[in-house]
Amino acid sequence: MKIKLELFGASRDFSNKDYLEFNLKEKSSIKDLRKQILNFIENNFKGNDNYKKLVQSSAFCSEENNIVSDDYKITKEQNIGIIPPIGGG
Amino acid sequence: MLHAKIIDVTKEKIEISNAEKFIASSKCGASIYFVGTVRDLNNDKKVKGITYDSHDALVIKSFEEIYKEAETKFKFENIAVFIEHVKGHVKLGNTSIIIAVACKHRAQAYEFSRYIIEEIKKRSPIWKKEHYENKDSEWLKGNPIKSS
Repeated sequence: MKIKLELFGASRDFSNKDYLEFNLKEKSSIKDLRKQILNFIENNFKGNDNYKKLVQSSAFCSEENNIVSDDYKITKEQNIGIIPPIGGG
Repeated sequence: MLHAKIIDVTKEKIEISNAEKFIASSKCGASIYFVGTVRDLNNDKKVKGITYDSHDALVIKSFEEIYKEAETKFKFENIAVFIEHVKGHVKLGNTSIIIAVACKHRAQAYEFSRYIIEEIKKRSPIWKKEHYENKDSEWLKGNPIKSS
């Protein structure tokens, strides 16, 4: 199941594009997606601590524009937004 | 009555005249304009501009929720609220956000306006990347959003 992770804020530094793509098993959760992103950081940025902390402190947003918990089941191919800690205005 | 919008600075300008037009009403005796601008110094670093990033749909949703909560909390009548926030690169001194509030009385307008900006700071998914005079730049650390 292909998931397009839309990047926002500091997570934009993870890629030259504004998204990353991950393949998840059926019935995966946000927790599983977070693990895959951490693996991506490990493999592509030598486990950069700041990036890992950013992923660990980020929330995630479903295609329906809801902030979802780590237990949220991803049941279809969709876009998920990573929402790093905020500080605008 | 609420107007909420993200302004992409590559396509249009954020302008206070639009806020004035929206909140104008003979039912209101008090209008407050909060204008946020890019400041020249942060953490002893000389700032020359900020790039704002936004999850547009979630930001608009948060503006609407904050407005509804404020309506319920304060129970003021005949309120008009205009909220616009920019996305993209904003130079030193230029505007990043306008919150205009019109109410019957001045105390209400101050209270409503203050509530909105404080909640936006806590809850709206907007990010800032500061650009400094020494050509460095960095994303500012923020507050994590929790799922409900």
